[in-house]
Amino acid sequence: MIAAAAPFLARRYLLTRRINLLGVLGVMFAVWAIVLVDSVFTGFVSQIRADVRSGAVDLLVTDLPADTSYERLRPALVDDAVVATAPRLRHHGLIKPVNVRRGGERPVASAEVDFDHTLNGFALLLGIDPATEEAVSGLRHWLARGPEELETRHAGTFWRSPVLDEPDAERRAQLLMPDADEWRARRRSGLPADHDRDQHRSQWPGVLFGWQRIRRLGWFAEAEPFDVTCASFPGGDAPAAVHTHSLRSAFAGTFATGHRAFDESTVLLPIETLRTLLGNDAADPASIDLVTDVAVRLRAGLGTGAIADAKERLRRAVQQTLPAGSGPCLVLDWEEQNRTFLSAVAHEQGMMQFVLFVVMLVAAFVIYATLHMMVVQKVKDIGILASLGASPRSIGAVFLLGGFAVGLAGTGLGVIAGVVSARYLNTANDWLYANFGVELFPRIMFDLRAVPCDLQPSWVATVAIGALLLALLVAYVPSRKAARLNPVTALAHE
Amino acid sequence: MNAPVLQACAVHKHYRLGKREIPVLRGIDLSVAAGETVALLGASGAGKSTLLHVLGLLDPPSSGEVRYDGRRVDALPIGERALLRHRHVGFVFQFYHLIPELTALQNVLLARMMDCSLFAYWRRRREVRAAATAMLEQVGLGERLHHRPAELSGGERQRVAIARALLADPKVVLADEPTGNLDSTTADGVVDLMFTIQRQRGLAFLLVTHDEELAARCHRIVRMKDGQVVSG
Repeated sequence: MIAAAAPFLARRYLLTRRINLLGVLGVMFAVWAIVLVDSVFTGFVSQIRADVRSGAVDLLVTDLPADTSYERLRPALVDDAVVATAPRLRHHGLIKPVNVRRGGERPVASAEVDFDHTLNGFALLLGIDPATEEAVSGLRHWLARGPEELETRHAGTFWRSPVLDEPDAERRAQLLMPDADEWRARRRSGLPADHDRDQHRSQWPGVLFGWQRIRRLGWFAEAEPFDVTCASFPGGDAPAAVHTHSLRSAFAGTFATGHRAFDESTVLLPIETLRTLLGNDAADPASIDLVTDVAVRLRAGLGTGAIADAKERLRRAVQQTLPAGSGPCLVLDWEEQNRTFLSAVAHEQGMMQFVLFVVMLVAAFVIYATLHMMVVQKVKDIGILASLGASPRSIGAVFLLGGFAVGLAGTGLGVIAGVVSARYLNTANDWLYANFGVELFPRIMFDLRAVPCDLQPSWVATVAIGALLLALLVAYVPSRKAARLNPVTALAHE
Repeated sequence: MNAPVLQACAVHKHYRLGKREIPVLRGIDLSVAAGETVALLGASGAGKSTLLHVLGLLDPPSSGEVRYDGRRVDALPIGERALLRHRHVGFVFQFYHLIPELTALQNVLLARMMDCSLFAYWRRRREVRAAATAMLEQVGLGERLHHRPAELSGGERQRVAIARALLADPKVVLADEPTGNLDSTTADGVVDLMFTIQRQRGLAFLLVTHDEELAARCHRIVRMKDGQVVSG
């Protein structure tokens, strides 16, 4: 039994010693920081995962040998779990606006050295077949979101891409812009164009840019001409030499998948165009439906196990269609497609939690230090309590309860502060920016419309319980010391 | 003669100083009967205070026995010894030993908070508070209930200490030079008060003192020298 004197004295000691406020404030700050920062980080990670997911397909068959034909693979891709497949062709290339300065030069002068060469003309070209791509990815959604992202960050409206609404399947496959748009672009650029606008027929295959690239390069009008250049090594026994192919194309729209790296680096174009650029012209009877990857859409509602089974079935089936001696192909789900990035984000969150845990340890140390000091200063009181008949357990309880009360007050205040600041984070951020030009969380740095904040009640409870247990743990040491003091020595203490 | 409420039987106590053993009490036999007042006289270092601590179960004897109401108590578990100390013995010290953060009333109330839980105390808080107030009024501090020790004189502090020692209704009061820190006028007042209460309640008193006059007011004087009882 803990004597009534223990909570009574603990309360008196705490109220008459302002230094205990240090412990309360320390725990409060630590709990507040852990709740708020982790909520922002959890929101940030959730947002990133959602964005990465929206930019990735269910499964991606990749690491295929060079010169793999999509038509040869198709029978292997038939599976109960598979709803649709789409061919993809990846290659690096150069993008250069025809009539805007040198290749990809930034239109706005900047004091900052740009090491991000993907914005200076280099691009990851991703050849797609729009019709089948729509069935496996969020292509239509990406194209709708691209202008929205630009408009959110800049005043004004950006035009919407019409290429997916083109009724002619042949023209849609080429991502051709409306004839009048291309005609106007030719006239603006001083390029040959029919005298009669109505007679003009679009010829330039369309290219789709990520909104990040457009934001850096400048806003372009519909069908703005770009030159796309690819360099490739011819296969076979030909002497090693670089073959380059260039093709004029039209700016056909801007997309936003939400996956920043993808949006910055990737340029979408018709797969036939990219095949041609790589010397695999469809008009050539020897040409093949060249692919580097196949995007796969799975049936909705499949569990993790079913997805893993489908992956393995597809991998085996595709491997069997590949020529003997081919290296192993891979079938990746959306997380595996972005494993490095997602691991880095998870690692960052882990590191952040560790740093915040250290903050909590410092707060706990403050509790320990103040309680230890209290025990040292109250040695005589401990002797008095013993002479009045207090058991060692009750004497220890005075200090243990003191530490617990400090932890409880700090945790309670910290949880309240954390929940309130997480709830009103964006309001406070906006207010600070509007009144003082200060942003606590610069959204532009992370390309976010609002600071994502995901307050998990389970996390708040974990932090609160952890803080209380830690406070009890550090309070136990001085309380044990108090309980073990010899009453006679304590009474004689000066 | 009344039955003994407190007994020391062949009590030895020694402290270890490095490899040396320092004997402080050497075979003490002492008995205090109910209602009896005993003065413990002796020079400094004779072992008076140590004997008081051993008898009050604050310090276990190295050998020998301590008995309360004829029952051996020194070998009981530490929690039981604390409870017995609370119920059987009241301490009064030379330097009052009040808790500075608490008022006079709270210091006295503390004596009744040792053997019950917070809830049990809460249920009878009014009754306990009334008893503590009455006790402080009895020692002449009815007007000083809410003063902290720093706001009280030496004599008043010692009266608070006496009230605290008596609130739990002990059978024996162990007083270690209760007037040693007071001027003679104040000391006389405190001593008068102690003996008045002792008579009213029929308490046993064991007083450690250097004051022959004070000792003379007790029923019995026990003299100690070098850790042994030499007379009484």
